[in-house]
Amino acid sequence: MRTRIITAVALAVALAIPASTASGGTTRASASSITVWLMSDAQNGWPAAVANATSQFKSQHPGADVNIQYQSWDSVLQKFDASIAAGDTPDVIELGNSQTAKYMAAGAFQAIKAKNYPNSSTWLGGLKQSCTYAGKTYCVPYYAGARAVIYRKDLYRSVGARSAPKTYSKFLSINKKLMKKYGRNSNFSAFYEPGQNWYVAMSFVIDYGGKIAVQKGGKWKGTLNSPQAIAGLTAFKKMTLAFSRASKTNDEAHPYPSIPFAKGRAASFIGNGWEWPYVFNPKGGAAPASFAKKMGAYPMPGRRAGTFLPTFLGGSDVGIPSSSKNKSLAADWIKAFTGTASETMIAKAGNIANSTKLLGVNAKNPSLAPFARAATYSWFVPSAPNWVNVESSNLLKTMCTAILTNRKSVAQATATASASITKILNAKS
Amino acid sequence: MSSRSPAAAASVAPPYLRRRRPLGRRLRRAFAPYGLLLPASAVIAAVLAYPLYYLVRLSFQHYGLFQLVRHKGEAIGTANYTEIFHDSVFWHTLLRTVAVTAVCVVLTVVLATLIALLLAELSSWVRLLLTAGLIFVWATPVVVAISVWSWMIDFEFGVANWTLTKLGVGNFNHHDWLANPWSGWSVIISLIVWGAIPFVAITLYAGLTQVSRELVEAASIDGASRWRIFRDITLPLLKPIYVIVISLSIIWDFQVFNQVWLITNTTPSPDYYVMAVYSYVTSFKISEYGLGSAIAVVMVAIMALISVFYVRQMVKLGDVE
Repeated sequence: MRTRIITAVALAVALAIPASTASGGTTRASASSITVWLMSDAQNGWPAAVANATSQFKSQHPGADVNIQYQSWDSVLQKFDASIAAGDTPDVIELGNSQTAKYMAAGAFQAIKAKNYPNSSTWLGGLKQSCTYAGKTYCVPYYAGARAVIYRKDLYRSVGARSAPKTYSKFLSINKKLMKKYGRNSNFSAFYEPGQNWYVAMSFVIDYGGKIAVQKGGKWKGTLNSPQAIAGLTAFKKMTLAFSRASKTNDEAHPYPSIPFAKGRAASFIGNGWEWPYVFNPKGGAAPASFAKKMGAYPMPGRRAGTFLPTFLGGSDVGIPSSSKNKSLAADWIKAFTGTASETMIAKAGNIANSTKLLGVNAKNPSLAPFARAATYSWFVPSAPNWVNVESSNLLKTMCTAILTNRKSVAQATATASASITKILNAKS
Repeated sequence: MSSRSPAAAASVAPPYLRRRRPLGRRLRRAFAPYGLLLPASAVIAAVLAYPLYYLVRLSFQHYGLFQLVRHKGEAIGTANYTEIFHDSVFWHTLLRTVAVTAVCVVLTVVLATLIALLLAELSSWVRLLLTAGLIFVWATPVVVAISVWSWMIDFEFGVANWTLTKLGVGNFNHHDWLANPWSGWSVIISLIVWGAIPFVAITLYAGLTQVSRELVEAASIDGASRWRIFRDITLPLLKPIYVIVISLSIIWDFQVFNQVWLITNTTPSPDYYVMAVYSYVTSFKISEYGLGSAIAVVMVAIMALISVFYVRQMVKLGDVE
């Protein structure tokens, strides 16, 4: 018995030694595997880009394995926190560009040398900024997305709108006509706007000259209760209540607006570029291919003539958690995933690629070009490291629901939200 | 429950036995029961005591993401407790939790009693049918049950809205059950009570079968009404069972989490916070693990008080036997 135990221990030690030297960092490591956490958007929208990166990585590291685990936006941060606590983080993780600041500030990411990564000299400015903290780079830009209105050309035409609206008042009048013509069907929305889609609500705030929060003398202050923000949210409320019959207590992922749109329950919705192809995805509405002929997209017009409603410039970055045990393998996978070949596929799926070099990919694609144009007027979340806590605590979604269900006046709801934002952004980390 | 301790057992052993045994062996005998308790105690210590100790320690620390990455908290004394006791959301949440628990327990026990009484009156095959139904509800995993309820009350495609509209109750098309917290809580409480009834009803029914028929017959011959029989015979006889099911229901309902969390799509507004949800949101959504632990500690303390009451009642019941 005893000898057997000794043998087992000796064997375990013998096995552990090469394993630990392998994780020590040579690129030629064999029989090692990395775990990659990507958001499910990649799984639904551009699985080919992921497969391409993995096969490129594997040809570079024969024998190394890549374990891709798809995550949902609702729970990825909790899971990441738990993995940090357990000392068992993934080797590569995707985070939203509004989520990275907190993790960079806390030291959860390994600093990287940007120049070692493909196209780093032409990375999109906004994304690059979301990967920079205290002068160092901590992650690699992955993709960006701008939102535009996806609409039914045939329905628009049926109320006399031959082209997409160029002004907000035209937008309103078309939707009014649509509601008049089709609104008797109580499932119909001229403009399907899930009540907790706070990105759209905040777009109105920005369009009316408001801000979510401002920094003064090192202190953050929530400013959703400013007159401009209140005016913006009042306009948002009026528009949403008039044209949308989406739930006021759910967000744009429950259900995806592409589903009611594909089912003929909506004449339009505001969505990311990747939501266009998603209309045809079995999970996103399963519209028949012929439906594409009826579809169009346009940047939502802004309040002032000639402008667009500022769109949230969302995006994602990929980074290497500081406790990853396979950092150099992780870096190689990231290089393959954010290189020109994979990024071109990501762009073709309806996104803005991570490099200005690739901005032309969709220029000739009439369905995706409007999303790129929409990005000319954009906004981003306040740059406070704690910002993501505002998102995670759902207070903006709660505020939208309170406003749209008339449980609180716009002034009351924004006062509560602003106070919470001030508290969260100034909390010590 | 036996009140004889092992030590007492050893001391009443006949003298000739005592003389023959060496001291070491006697000691071994005296400690053997404790030795047998050791494995269970070790397991409890590992899965309960240590996490609890860690939770309490965390509640006296500032423990955010920065500390999490370094695996080291920053001691800040009672600051977390000061913060939650000055937080109106905390007090609202505590009150809401108590109210929800009270409503759930009362509804569960009353409805389960009625079902148990019904079971006792039914013909055997109907009873079998009803019992099977109850067991199915009890056997449904809670997450599955919540998903089913979520779909039933779904805003866009839910069967509840469709049925109510068809029945002519009103226009429930696109009725949002969660938009108003009162209606939202009615749904959640129904869900909790629905899930809790089977255990309580079957337990009470088991108790009812032990109520002697002679007593009931004698009372009815004396002209007692059914309510009177229930109040003066059944209820007192079932009291021990009621103590158990009520205590357990309080403990279960006070820590409710899944039903609230999942039916609100994991994004509850503060109107839907109960203690467990608030602690979770504070810890895992905004990475304030110290603060979240302090909320959890308060919750554990309240639960401990309820448990003391429960254990005392159990011991008392044991003594009577």
